[in-house]
Amino acid sequence: MAGSGTAHLRPRDEVLLQVENLYVEFPAGRGRTVRAVSGVSFDLAKGETLGIVGESGCGKSSTARALIQLPRPRAGSVRLDGLDLTSLRGEALRRVRRRLQMIFQDPISSLNPRRRVREIVEEGPKVWGRGALDVDEVLEAVGLDPATAAVRRPHEFSGGQCQRVSIARALVLEPEVVICDEPVSALDVSVQAQILALLEDLKERYRLTLVFIAHDLAVVKNVSDRILVMYLGKTCELAPSEDLIARPAHPYTKALLAAIPGSGLDLPPADRLISGEPPSPVDPPSGCRFRTRCPRAAERCAREEPEIRPVNGGDHYVACHFPDL
Amino acid sequence: MRRRFGAGFWIATAWISLVVAAAALADLLPIPGYDETLVGPPRSGPSAEHPFGTDGLGRDVFSRVVHGARVSLGVGIGAVVLGLGLGAPLGVLAGYRKGFADAVIMAVNDIALAFPSLVFALAVVAFAGASLRNVLIVLGVLGIPAWVRLIRGATLSFAEREFVLAARVLGVRDRRILWRDIMPNVAVPAASYAFIGMAVVIVAEGSLAFLGLSVQAPTPTWGGLINEGRTLMETAPHVVLAPSIVMFLTVLSFNLVGDRLRALTDVRQSGLEPARQSAPLPAGPGAEPVTGALLQVDDLRTHIHTPRGTVKAVDGVSFTLERGRTLAIVGESGSGKSMLIRTILGLLPAADVSRGGHVRLEGDDLTRFTPEEMRQVLGRRLGTVFQDPMTALNPVRTIGTQVTEPLRVHLGMSRKRAREEAARLLASVGIPDPARTLGRYPHQLSGGMRQRVTIAMALSCGPDVLFADEPTTALDVTIQDQVLRLIHRLREERDMAVVLVSHDLSVVRQWADEVIVMYAGKVVEHGPAEQVFARPRMPYTEALLQAAPRLTDPSHHRLRVIPGRPPDLADVPPGCPFRPRCAYAQDRCGAEAPPLTGDHDHLYACWHPTGSAVAGAPEGAESHGR
Repeated sequence: MAGSGTAHLRPRDEVLLQVENLYVEFPAGRGRTVRAVSGVSFDLAKGETLGIVGESGCGKSSTARALIQLPRPRAGSVRLDGLDLTSLRGEALRRVRRRLQMIFQDPISSLNPRRRVREIVEEGPKVWGRGALDVDEVLEAVGLDPATAAVRRPHEFSGGQCQRVSIARALVLEPEVVICDEPVSALDVSVQAQILALLEDLKERYRLTLVFIAHDLAVVKNVSDRILVMYLGKTCELAPSEDLIARPAHPYTKALLAAIPGSGLDLPPADRLISGEPPSPVDPPSGCRFRTRCPRAAERCAREEPEIRPVNGGDHYVACHFPDL
Repeated sequence: MRRRFGAGFWIATAWISLVVAAAALADLLPIPGYDETLVGPPRSGPSAEHPFGTDGLGRDVFSRVVHGARVSLGVGIGAVVLGLGLGAPLGVLAGYRKGFADAVIMAVNDIALAFPSLVFALAVVAFAGASLRNVLIVLGVLGIPAWVRLIRGATLSFAEREFVLAARVLGVRDRRILWRDIMPNVAVPAASYAFIGMAVVIVAEGSLAFLGLSVQAPTPTWGGLINEGRTLMETAPHVVLAPSIVMFLTVLSFNLVGDRLRALTDVRQSGLEPARQSAPLPAGPGAEPVTGALLQVDDLRTHIHTPRGTVKAVDGVSFTLERGRTLAIVGESGSGKSMLIRTILGLLPAADVSRGGHVRLEGDDLTRFTPEEMRQVLGRRLGTVFQDPMTALNPVRTIGTQVTEPLRVHLGMSRKRAREEAARLLASVGIPDPARTLGRYPHQLSGGMRQRVTIAMALSCGPDVLFADEPTTALDVTIQDQVLRLIHRLREERDMAVVLVSHDLSVVRQWADEVIVMYAGKVVEHGPAEQVFARPRMPYTEALLQAAPRLTDPSHHRLRVIPGRPPDLADVPPGCPFRPRCAYAQDRCGAEAPPLTGDHDHLYACWHPTGSAVAGAPEGAESHGR
């Protein structure tokens, strides 16, 4: 799972967004470094939804923020239509950012409490002038009443409605890629279903390309065409959604699936597939980073980091020395 | 979010307005000049003509106090404006830019804060001359470090919020982000601190004036007046008392207004304490105690009285639970599931709550217990585990002290025995190296380990019932699996009953024997888990099950969307509370609330129950993952 390598990337001219060998690190004090993301690569074709799944500390949110260069990754490239965002500075970067937008997990924290909802959605068009969608039209598209939005502030709305506001704010600039960082994790089941349905509708209507990050595999499977599984800053497995759930090749993917209660899948109990707790990203294990919890770990896993390689034929990729085929 | 300020705030505001108006209009008021001597007999006490009396030269003290307010308030407001004007930009810069700018500004600031400020003020004023301008500048400049620190802190907390990140993603320039996103949010704490700052400056100016280091005579200042009156304390105390009282009230008012404004931005305190002050609701037809039941809840109601009306958070919930069984309570936010648990445990906010019904634990009616008796029950017979282990653990005490505490308090163990028992408990919840863990602090453990510790604490006195309120919601799925497995194993080993509150249907499906589905404070469906999940009868349960994505469904599968939102609990519509969102609703549903009825042990509150099995539902919870 130290899955490095780029065997799974498609030719550059076939994809809209290509992320190659992304490294994100933060200082952890006393001269130590949190290795949040270590050599992750993936790509997105236009109109595709890529799900990124993993547990806390796997680096999925750090990856999302590195895509928009907030903060800038330590190494690697993020190419939007061939243009490398990591090489841009200042005004050029500001111009390109509007083509990537983001939706956050906490519906309350992502809206300025002191501004009216309409002002929040209008911010993008105000900054950029022409070239944005009509604010009222977008408000209606996300299921909000423009008249109410003009007078109300975020705290007068429910969590689900606040998330609609965030979506409207992201969409109004007609972005090419929308990065959704746990957009439904803070919502109730019924509201979650509303927001997921809304995202699917909007994706169709505005021809969006989505990166959908979540810890809940069932949610990710519902919206994604392909799923990337991350563990401790590394790639474990990348496969079309159905394929990943039906034939998980990586031991960690399997454990993740088995841990979901009432999954209806034919898997052994999770406590036989994974043990203990994730190690600290400050001091990740050598070789494969999953080996400390993996029932199959062998001596080779500590020595040698597995490379991403195709398995099962087709477009199923895994980074493991002993995958389940 | 309108919050009440309270009468004190308005009285204080009125006083400040009065003093400010008097100071501003001092020359226009029909009062003698402040330096006119012998307007009355010297040293005469308060009278109709001279409300504050006269001083040693026969000057009107009221007039002198009013004119003195000009200096005090002028310095107070001026110094705060100066400090804020210079301190706020530095604070915002440090908080928003961080890095180098922050390091430099804060280093200088810390040095400035370490300076003996009053000595500095005395020295400067003594050297540069005592004048209104010099006093104002000195006091203003001395306030800057505090302002920098305050504004920086507020800016930092907002600069990390997602809405600022979102603005940057939109391509908004920094200046606009500062102006539109940061400043309005920082303004509230700044305003509250400004009032408190004014009070501080008024006192400081008074002290300088008392030492003769403020504006010189003949211009009166409050501190100067007190100083002058000092010699007349014996014969004419009113000369000292009048300016002192006015100054005291003014400082008090500024502090009060500042405090109230700050309370506006603070998180409200939960105030959850065992309490019995609340008035009981009229008892319903009380069911007789069921023999053999471990926990029997009977027509439990919790109504919270708010300015918007009475919120029926829990409205007539009944169930019984036996040993060795897990009862799950599911529902969405606001369904009343957490409030139900708090009501059973007697953990309700003291004020504005009425409750009714009975909670019987092996026949003892807990609703009749005193807070002291309830505390005994909570430690020994009812264990609790909440969502966030960090709030249940005291961050500054070791795990050992916290786990041994209930053992020593409730079971009267010696320190040594309690420690041995604690280590045994930690081992039983799967904590590696328990002896070492006893010496560690909560922040040194992972979220999953902390939750194991709270489970160990809940189990320490061998409770009969374990209440777990969203115990795994904050945890990762692989850790969630471990913790739920643990709770299940402990239930078997100890022959306890478990009440599991969760919003997660799949958790409930796997781990519960019996399920209660709550909606708008009421039980809408109640039955054996496998039946409720395989054949839900209440349309809400059915919709909820179809709204949750499942791994066995294909990608891009359309989830069932329940239109609308749950009702406002202060204004629940008549009839069935789910009617406005229900696909099967008919006239009767709006007119008459459906009772909780059904066949055998599967109950539902619906006039038109659904009969169909949920498509594709895995048959029952038979696997139980054990």
